[in-house]
Amino acid sequence: MLAAGVLADATDPWIRWDWVFRHIPVIGGALVQHVQLTAIAVGIGLLISLPLGFWAWRIPLARGPILSLTGILYTIPSLALFAILVPFTGLSTLTAEIGLVSYTLLILIRNVVVGLDGVPAEVREAATGMGYRPLARLIRIDFPLAVPAIIAGIRIATVTTIGLVTVTALIGLGGLGELILQGLINDFKSPLLVGAVLSVALAVVADLSLSGLQRLATPWSRGEGRA
Amino acid sequence: MRANRGTVIGGLFVGLAFLTAGCGSSPGAGASPSGSPKESITVASFNFSESAILAQIYGQALKAKGYTITFKLNLGSREIVEPALEKGDIDLYPGYAATELEFQNKAKGEATPDAVATVAKLNTYLNPKGLEALTPSSAVDENAFAVLKSGKWGSYTKLSDLTPVASQMVLGGPPECPTRPFCEAGLKKVYGLNFKDFKALDAGGPLTKAALDQGSIDIGLIFSSDSAYSTGKYVQLQDDKHLQNADNVVPIIRKDKANDEVVSVLNSVDAKLTTDVLVSLNKKADVDKEDPDVIASDWLKSNGFTS
Amino acid sequence: MTFLQSAVAWFLDGAHWHGTDGVPNRLSEHLLMSGVSVLAAAIVALPIGIGLGHRGRGGFVAINVSNVGRAIPSFGLLVIALQVFGIGAKPAFVALFALAIPPMMTNSYVGITQVDPDVREAARGMGMRERAILFRVEIPLALPLIMAGLRTSAVQVVATATLAALVAWGGLGRYIVDGLAQRDFVQVFCGAVLVAVLSIIVELALAGLQRLALPRGLRLTQTTSPDVPRDLTTGLKAA
Repeated sequence: MLAAGVLADATDPWIRWDWVFRHIPVIGGALVQHVQLTAIAVGIGLLISLPLGFWAWRIPLARGPILSLTGILYTIPSLALFAILVPFTGLSTLTAEIGLVSYTLLILIRNVVVGLDGVPAEVREAATGMGYRPLARLIRIDFPLAVPAIIAGIRIATVTTIGLVTVTALIGLGGLGELILQGLINDFKSPLLVGAVLSVALAVVADLSLSGLQRLATPWSRGEGRA
Repeated sequence: MRANRGTVIGGLFVGLAFLTAGCGSSPGAGASPSGSPKESITVASFNFSESAILAQIYGQALKAKGYTITFKLNLGSREIVEPALEKGDIDLYPGYAATELEFQNKAKGEATPDAVATVAKLNTYLNPKGLEALTPSSAVDENAFAVLKSGKWGSYTKLSDLTPVASQMVLGGPPECPTRPFCEAGLKKVYGLNFKDFKALDAGGPLTKAALDQGSIDIGLIFSSDSAYSTGKYVQLQDDKHLQNADNVVPIIRKDKANDEVVSVLNSVDAKLTTDVLVSLNKKADVDKEDPDVIASDWLKSNGFTS
Repeated sequence: MTFLQSAVAWFLDGAHWHGTDGVPNRLSEHLLMSGVSVLAAAIVALPIGIGLGHRGRGGFVAINVSNVGRAIPSFGLLVIALQVFGIGAKPAFVALFALAIPPMMTNSYVGITQVDPDVREAARGMGMRERAILFRVEIPLALPLIMAGLRTSAVQVVATATLAALVAWGGLGRYIVDGLAQRDFVQVFCGAVLVAVLSIIVELALAGLQRLALPRGLRLTQTTSPDVPRDLTTGLKAA
């Protein structure tokens, strides 16, 4: 019953373990699909953001427009963005991914820029002094030093995307949002709670893993206290 | 005449073509010869639990006879399911006779309270499309409108009672209700009910019931077979002017899958389905939160369709 | 009619501009709910964030409340609120209120703690009392980040209010939700355009306000654009 309050009524406790055990395949499938949708979005987002971020960093005139455009995209509510795409790309994974990728762009591009900005000028000069040509310097000095910021961006983008994937259930896709939607349509607390809790858990696991990756990728900072 | 190689080969091809055309991929109305593998049938449902339960009942009954069943449950509204059947993406779904007819004839108003006549008329639209409606069951699930018994309008019993007071009432229902002939549009046309406002909620689901409970709507669409009526909390207003017609449960199937055995299985299942059965099945879903496939298999077993 | 022509026709249809389901009503519902939620959250979050920042305590909580908040799916939060509070405006308000707190709390905390300690020392040296330091030095200097937090919260609330149509509330999201239910993709599209435009207007308006809130002295010394926050952990997208 809706509005039963935090104390659930007898027929619909907050979690029914018999339901959970019976539906482990469904829950597992939703989790897998959720991970897939997230990975594709962040992966493609990164592929687009690395070159775009580089250009935004390198070409001062481009930085404003690139950040503004991705910023405006970021502002659009996800259900609205999916809805705008649906008449053209249908109720499909493509629609969802176009939307999800768009939301990673601002975060990733911004972090690529900040990362590259953060490379101390003296280091860059020293590298040039040592004979590094621009491309080599970019690949072996600039980007590696920008990695911590880039991974920080990947962390935020991943956690954000995990939350947004739940909304794709409203355009017919699955993921953990499908369980939440089932909880809504059937007034059923168990799938709702499982969907929401797993979504949070997935975000936490992803964040911790990427934070570990960040530390691995920056061996020079491991000696100091803060990551 | 002298048969050269070309003619012989050409003749062979033509002959082969005739032979294979005879052995079509679908057995059509004839029964499949014993020993050959049985049809695979895709069963779909609308996106509410009663439809999913009925689809499971049909599908599992056929599966027990050896058919390969694929389920596509909760596909959506009729606007999605019926075209899918026409296209062949699905083969069978549990329909509701009068609403199916009015969907086919673009709301011409040909449905009547007579189930058999309604289905016969329905078939005049379905058959040319290669589709068929089988024998309707006595189980009826039609649009019904309810008020909260303990609320302001709890003493009313018939829809026609509302004519003088409708302008003070807010109606709640699925988003498409205002334009549907068996929903708000029909209430206006047949009963002259002009409601104060309409609130888009869900199709007789928890949001509509909560809205009635909270008083944010005065009258809501709750399907006639909903288990909530058995609690006595809601009063189902009688459709005394017969806006709703024979919305009996009836299998809608593609003709190329409707061989004699399939038809006989589905008809024998339908014979055992009554409105009371629907209410009890719905209770298992809504209150006990059981899954449609379990509810279906339990019912089939206790009625001797499966062992 | 092409799809886009149908969309234009939808906007030009007078029937869509009056009544409960008309654009003006849905727009005002959306703005009112968003405004009230953000205001209520600000009343709670800002004093806590500023207070913790001023005392230099509770940093772990103030910063991680945003990390935790970012991990919670707003769709799930809404439906859980529905289960607890029933349908309508109440669950929508509770979910939006909860969503708006983290960015404002974190940003106001970070803003206050990042005030240059030398400036604080100078103020103390001038004889200013604690309360004066807080209101006349720390808060003005932290204002850009506080405003950034307010802006983040507001944009997220406007976005999530779109989803609140699912719990039988109103707002512009109604067009999208009802349109999806009826497969009326023109309605879906037009509703989505309305929501998108509103969100962008809110974002730009608050960005402008943020720029105005920057004390003149700081504006002249600002080297990085205010859109690139110094704190890499801000930035929330919930819906």
